[in-house]
Amino acid sequence: MNSVVQTLTNSDRLASSSARAVLILLRARAFLVLFLLLALFSWMAPAFLTANNFSILAKHVAISAILAIGMTFVVLTGGIDLSVGSVAGLGGMIAGYVVTQGIAFSGTNHFSSVFVAVVATFAVCLLVGALNGWLVAKVGIAPFIATLGTLYVARGAALLLSNGKTFPNLAGAPDQPRTGFSTIGQSCFIHVPTPVWIMAALFVFAAFVAAKTPLGRHVYAVGGNERAARLAGIRVPRVKIVSYIFSSLCAACVGLIIASQLEAAHPATGETFELNAIAAVVLGGTSLMGGRGSVLGSLIGAFVIGVLADGLVMLGVSEFWQMVIKGLVIVLAVAVDQLQSRLQAKFLPLLLRSSSQAGA
Amino acid sequence: MMPWRMFALGAILLMLTGCRRVEGRKLVFVIVPSQDNPFFKAEADAAAAEAQRLGYATRVEAHDDDAYRQDNLIDAAIASNASAIVLDNAGSDSSVSAVRRAAVKGIPVFLVDREIEISGIAKAQIIADNDQGARLVAAEFVRSMPRKGDYAELLGRESDTNAQIRTKGFHAVLDRETGLKLVSAQSANWSQSEAFQKTETMLQAHPSIAGIIAGNDTMALGAAAAVKSAGLNGMRIVGFDGSPDAIAAIRAGEMQATSLQPAVYIARMAVDEADRYMKSGSTGAPERQIVPCDLVTRSNATNYGNFEKLR
Repeated sequence: MNSVVQTLTNSDRLASSSARAVLILLRARAFLVLFLLLALFSWMAPAFLTANNFSILAKHVAISAILAIGMTFVVLTGGIDLSVGSVAGLGGMIAGYVVTQGIAFSGTNHFSSVFVAVVATFAVCLLVGALNGWLVAKVGIAPFIATLGTLYVARGAALLLSNGKTFPNLAGAPDQPRTGFSTIGQSCFIHVPTPVWIMAALFVFAAFVAAKTPLGRHVYAVGGNERAARLAGIRVPRVKIVSYIFSSLCAACVGLIIASQLEAAHPATGETFELNAIAAVVLGGTSLMGGRGSVLGSLIGAFVIGVLADGLVMLGVSEFWQMVIKGLVIVLAVAVDQLQSRLQAKFLPLLLRSSSQAGA
Repeated sequence: MMPWRMFALGAILLMLTGCRRVEGRKLVFVIVPSQDNPFFKAEADAAAAEAQRLGYATRVEAHDDDAYRQDNLIDAAIASNASAIVLDNAGSDSSVSAVRRAAVKGIPVFLVDREIEISGIAKAQIIADNDQGARLVAAEFVRSMPRKGDYAELLGRESDTNAQIRTKGFHAVLDRETGLKLVSAQSANWSQSEAFQKTETMLQAHPSIAGIIAGNDTMALGAAAAVKSAGLNGMRIVGFDGSPDAIAAIRAGEMQATSLQPAVYIARMAVDEADRYMKSGSTGAPERQIVPCDLVTRSNATNYGNFEKLR
């Protein structure tokens, strides 16, 4: 009798430990995919595994990573922000406008410093983010529809700003205060490109807010169960509005970086960037239903997409295949996500039982 | 009393609209792929300006390379009683039915920049010679390159006919040069920021690249920005289109050459032929007309403006 009980708990223990191992592997899947891709490309493309290439790779990743970091908060609240690509385009155009046209003030044009251009960009993008948040939280429009609307409005505004033209030559002449705009995207600091520093800073900030502050806990609570969050006294609309504003400010950073890298602001910049950002967030394991996920996951997701894109270019794979492969990776990641939740639901009682036994 | 008043009001309204139609100018409908691209913008502006100069009312629309949207715009032109349509179409195969629908309704269509396969439904098809332009700029690329060297190519959107014609034209010249080796070819979808990133990556994979040939100027400018950011000197970059930004880059020495498509000239030509057709029933020219491209290099860059040769 005693021995039968013993074997049962033994097999339970075995099952629970292997289940735990599988779950850990599944949770770290984005890491694993990234590691596999890095190994694969290092093996196949000789110049891939060099410090110089990694610096450029990180610079490319920074674009979608910054958008994904902002997007993570919105998705965690159970929303989605489709407008980030357009807002990035609008941000670049605002900066381009201020740098090349100056600000008309009491009849005369004031050519302002790069600092003013950056502040103006952030101010406008903050307004767009606040509009998104207001539409979602106060007016009650579904996030998909509200941000789809601002996607078109922001793109149209970007086109109107220059009447469809590009603002060229943003580097400026040395005798004007606008020189220095190109430092945002082109300079390096301790051998690491500035956009990567911006990405790192935003990541540290976002990860800190998500994990260590009341606001971060509120974001998870709103996405997990909005009704419960409201009953617990969380000001749900405010949490949502702050999330959308942060997402738009991240988009503004991207707009500035691209305009600065190209020394030109083109109104169509950023088209379909929102899709890359959403893909990165999903790859990172954040649930589109809200309440579950992490900023670190989104960062890794962005790296997976970026490494895939650059690696395939280095191998000389055609654009058409690049798109097919990217799509497959995204679908596969979400399929694994489903598998994880199903396995978790199945093995959680087992895990709980074994841990309670261990405690006893 | 009421029916009579309504009748009188109706009669007045009818007279008013009738008057407006008599004194209203004929409408020329201009449809281009987009208005955020300097090339199509110059084309649309030139067509509209020429039509207004000849006394027509104009409407300018963009189909964003979407054949369905183009269909709707053609319907809008039919519904608004346009007298002629100047169209830069959304793809040679997907545009035939739209052009035919307008033709059936008696509205003459004048195609610019991109042609369609079928003859006889458009009154004119005026295009820049993309093949000749591509060969021209490729030959200049060969001249600027060392005798032996590696180069990379940035292609346009691969589903676009002009992207295919240009790359074919490039290779008709480049493949004869045994010293030149194509080490990487990638599509950057006509986009500057995409060309920037892809060039950076290509330069990492192939540090030996000494020149980059691009299917349009926007991508060439993106490549130039990437080369500048990598701190490389002496890279040969050529493009296609002759955009003002590219001409400025050629004058600054950041690009070697471009092939200028005379978009402004072609747009004016189409409107002039439309005008002649509306007045006399004939354009006075064959349906298919091909206008050669001009090579723009540092030595003649000052002669060229916004997609046209200055005098």
